[in-house]
Amino acid sequence: MFEIGLSHYMTVSAILFTLGILGIFLNRKNVIIIMMSVELMLLAVNINLVAFSADLGDMVGQVFTMFVLTVAAAEAAIGLAILVVYFRNRGSIAVEDVNMMKG
Amino acid sequence: MIQALTFYVFAFFTVVSGALVISARNPVHSVLFLILAFFSSAGLFVLMGAEFLAMILVVVYVGAVAVLFLFVVMMLDINFVELRQGFLQYLPAGVMIGLVLLVELVVIVAGHAMAPEAGTTVAQPIPPVDEISNTQALGELFYTHYIYLFQAAGLILLVAMIGAIVLTHRKRDGVRKQRISDQINRRAEDSVEVVKVETGKGI
Amino acid sequence: MAEIPNIIPALPEMFLASVAMALLMLGVFHKTGGINDIKASRLISLLSIVALLLAVLLVSTLSGGRLPTFANMFVSDTFAVYCKILVLAGSALAIIISYGFLERHDMARFEYSILILFATLGMMMMISANDLISLYVGLELQSLSLYVIASFQRDDTRSTEAGLKYFVLGAVASGMLLYGSSLVYGFTGTTNFDQLANLFDAHHGETSIGVIFGIVFILAGLAFKVSAVPFHMWTPDVYEGAPTPVTAFFSVAPKIAAMALFIRVMVGPFGGLVGEWQQIVIFISMASMALGAFAAINQTNIKRLMAYSSIGHAGYALIGLAVGTEAGIQSVLIYLSIYLMMNIGVFTCILYMRRDGHMVENIKDLAGMNRTHPMLALALTILMFSMAGIPPFAGFFGKFYIFVSAIEAHLYTLAIFGVLSSVVAAFYYLRIVQLVYFEDLEEALDKSAAPELAIVLTGTGLFVAFFFVYPTPILSAAAAAAASLFAG
Repeated sequence: MFEIGLSHYMTVSAILFTLGILGIFLNRKNVIIIMMSVELMLLAVNINLVAFSADLGDMVGQVFTMFVLTVAAAEAAIGLAILVVYFRNRGSIAVEDVNMMKG
Repeated sequence: MIQALTFYVFAFFTVVSGALVISARNPVHSVLFLILAFFSSAGLFVLMGAEFLAMILVVVYVGAVAVLFLFVVMMLDINFVELRQGFLQYLPAGVMIGLVLLVELVVIVAGHAMAPEAGTTVAQPIPPVDEISNTQALGELFYTHYIYLFQAAGLILLVAMIGAIVLTHRKRDGVRKQRISDQINRRAEDSVEVVKVETGKGI
Repeated sequence: MAEIPNIIPALPEMFLASVAMALLMLGVFHKTGGINDIKASRLISLLSIVALLLAVLLVSTLSGGRLPTFANMFVSDTFAVYCKILVLAGSALAIIISYGFLERHDMARFEYSILILFATLGMMMMISANDLISLYVGLELQSLSLYVIASFQRDDTRSTEAGLKYFVLGAVASGMLLYGSSLVYGFTGTTNFDQLANLFDAHHGETSIGVIFGIVFILAGLAFKVSAVPFHMWTPDVYEGAPTPVTAFFSVAPKIAAMALFIRVMVGPFGGLVGEWQQIVIFISMASMALGAFAAINQTNIKRLMAYSSIGHAGYALIGLAVGTEAGIQSVLIYLSIYLMMNIGVFTCILYMRRDGHMVENIKDLAGMNRTHPMLALALTILMFSMAGIPPFAGFFGKFYIFVSAIEAHLYTLAIFGVLSSVVAAFYYLRIVQLVYFEDLEEALDKSAAPELAIVLTGTGLFVAFFFVYPTPILSAAAAAAASLFAG
């Protein structure tokens, strides 16, 4: 209980990842929340990687995290740009009213 | 003891704010909880000895990404009540799926103890902290061993920049911009006319 | 001091990256007036095509042996060379057929070609990835460029909606892939493909539950990228919404790159665990073939139909991977080459479908086309016969090698399932031929004067029709490429 090890961090990461997936399921209409859920998933991955890195005594995990952080920032920028142009065209950000294209 | 307590505090805040991100009624609150989640997990990173990443997380994520989210949420005039429809409808199925996934992932955590491969190879051992700091250790890897990925990450950021500009930049009419070259090129002869005025006649 | 890495194996990538950045500068400074600068766009398109062709030359000089570099994170072998040539050809063809379309649809901005160049660069990095980190970085360079290209027609609701859907689902898939990678790293302590392969070999295919979960997550992410069932949901919407030349590009280059990556990851690092993933790949493959065959029947929009068709094609290609042998991989590579030519050909036909200056996308619009456009009707017929897998056209041989490799590996169920679903799929391909020749003409399509489309259509049509005359170069190149994957 008071000995904090790898499994504690992995559990936090697993919970965050699950919350991310759950957020995508629950907020199907709200793209902004979906994007934030994706950020949560990536945060979970980062916690996992850093925990493994500390446990193994290996820097590679931290290097990997650094690249994930970089790419995630770029991804957020592009995602929000697409969201803004979508909003300009539709006046709404709900992905689910797909009247234009029926699935 | 102190370490355990710190861990539980940070872990608690990370998880709770993560849950609030996806369940808050107002997206502005969601973004704020996202910031809290980033802050708390930066604390976790420090506990694990990755202080450079912790700082990057605060600077890049809280400073840039979360603010970008906040900016977009506030800029777009969105009816959020309408967007929440279906939340309760998906709740039971979502929670079920979430629970199954969580149980599976926790099984993995338990499985780590009996992994046959765990810890067999270490490619880049972490140097002792009192000799080389975490930041220096990362830097020494980035610019040598991982130069290929470092350059590729630069290209990704370039693509993000091109993409954001291509999609959102618009040339608007009727906007008066400062043209520095025109200002510099302007000479006195172009704009000032010296007129000889005869006395008593006016112009 | 770290030693300077050998840059020769990565020369094509470095060339392409430098050219893309140089062209970006050129475009920015060349651009004169408004946002839609046709002159700058034309110049950059032409130069990009030249750059892609030069990159093909550079890649083909590398075709000897296995060359790892950059601390073993990047590897160039015959397999990579083969797939890179396909991807480069796909991108070049996509830029060619976009040439006139961009101007007609008010999206002639030079960034289009630049983004395609960056996406191609990402694909080449994916194909050459030899480490989980370089896999991720290459994949994201490709994906981020593709998200922007999908929503490039930014004033069009459908295009931006396609971009948004593609982005959201793609980001989720990347997240899954990444979580899988983190598990694999944590449970094995390495991200390098060679070390992973050695590790699993040393344990004789026995592994922990964490690694299995990691592989499942990675599989899910990769299945999304090749648009295989059950991660195909984005495909019809994105294919329908994106501008047509963009859809043509999406249906070939990224798909080939993702399939190559899929093969490299499964056969390379996880090759020792074939017993664990083979069943999953078989399931994905069968489900994709079935969905591709049945869901396409009721489609009225031809781009949507092509989306389901491409899901089905992903299923056939995955049969070869499920077989997992050298012959299986060889058959996938042959299949992908033929698929590239067929698909570009069909999309060129779709680009011809204009009426009163607007694109029409309904299958019904093709009715009676042979009265007004006999040559186009002939080309479309050849391509559709090939898609359906009717001999002697190229598509038949693609499927033939795949099914033979499955039978040789005693995967009879998979082979029979494949044959049956291609019979069902033949129905909707042949329905198009029937529409073109035997239905009454209602309203004629425009006469098009786009020389670039005519050239591409003639080229792909001839390839598909006369593949059987001299297939040896492709067969032997694919054999060498497959062998290089199993040599190490």
